[in-house]
Amino acid sequence: MLSITARNLACALRGSLVGTSSRVAAVRCLHGTEESAEEFDKRYEKYFSRDGIDGWEIRKGMNDLLGMDLVPSPKIIEAGLRATRRVNDIALAIRWLEGCKDKCGDQKATLYPYLLEKITPTLQELGIPTIEELGYDKPELALKSVYDA
Amino acid sequence: MSALRLIPRGNARNLSQMLMMGRRFASGGDGIRLMIGDREVVGYGINGRPVYLDSTDCPFPAIRYREVTPELCAIREKELGDWKKLSLDDKKMLYRHSFCQTFVEFKYFTPEWKICLGVALWLVAIALGLTMLLKTKMYGEMPETFEEERRSAQLRRMIQLQINPITGISSKWCYGENKWKSQVD
Repeated sequence: MLSITARNLACALRGSLVGTSSRVAAVRCLHGTEESAEEFDKRYEKYFSRDGIDGWEIRKGMNDLLGMDLVPSPKIIEAGLRATRRVNDIALAIRWLEGCKDKCGDQKATLYPYLLEKITPTLQELGIPTIEELGYDKPELALKSVYDA
Repeated sequence: MSALRLIPRGNARNLSQMLMMGRRFASGGDGIRLMIGDREVVGYGINGRPVYLDSTDCPFPAIRYREVTPELCAIREKELGDWKKLSLDDKKMLYRHSFCQTFVEFKYFTPEWKICLGVALWLVAIALGLTMLLKTKMYGEMPETFEEERRSAQLRRMIQLQINPITGISSKWCYGENKWKSQVD
């Protein structure tokens, strides 16, 4: 009984492993090589600049980036903003700016002006307001309790 | 402090039975697709479920915060064109359509810590009270084996039986001089 179960289990495992072997290999490849900062920036720039990228993928990329321990470089931010322009979603652009500002952490005083200076041409070209112009650098609305809604 | 926002249920009566069943079982059968009403599902979000959550870890939730209204459709039409022609209010409205709170809003320090601390102190107080009650009212005297005399007799016996002679209690006893070894060596 046990041997039959073990054989079935082995078959099932082999089947699932064969299916994912290429993915496993791809993940393992990443271990040996260290990706440089420039390559990283390029990868994400390319990701956001791809033709036919949709809102789903943009959100995925941005969520990933804002979950990492880094401040996105101005080039990535610009590429992200242009991607939001292509899918016609200005809310996404504003949220992206906010997220990037938030990633500056306790270095907001030095890092954020630098970022803003670098991306201002793109902001003006696309007509995206800065967080300060929107007044979103201070809390605007208090949230109503869900019991009053 | 961001919390999972409760989203009011959509008006299920307007949907036909089949559509309802389809949407109910569209995501695991818990009816969450009915709960989100007409809200647009726009991304993967935090775990692939169509829920709205403001968080810095995952700032782009799976659904838009508000349902589609005719006024909003008009603004979205304008959004297709040049964004410079949008007024600031339009931009804000589009933002508030997609998202509930801005970063500064949901990261704003709330006095919620008071209730957290309060509840924690209540629990400590209840635990202390229970302990005191049990000690005074429920448990009797300690067993006689806890008396100092009996405990030292037990220790003597352990040493005589040479219990744990390598690293334990008997290794600390000098059997030649019949007293504890000095702490220096």
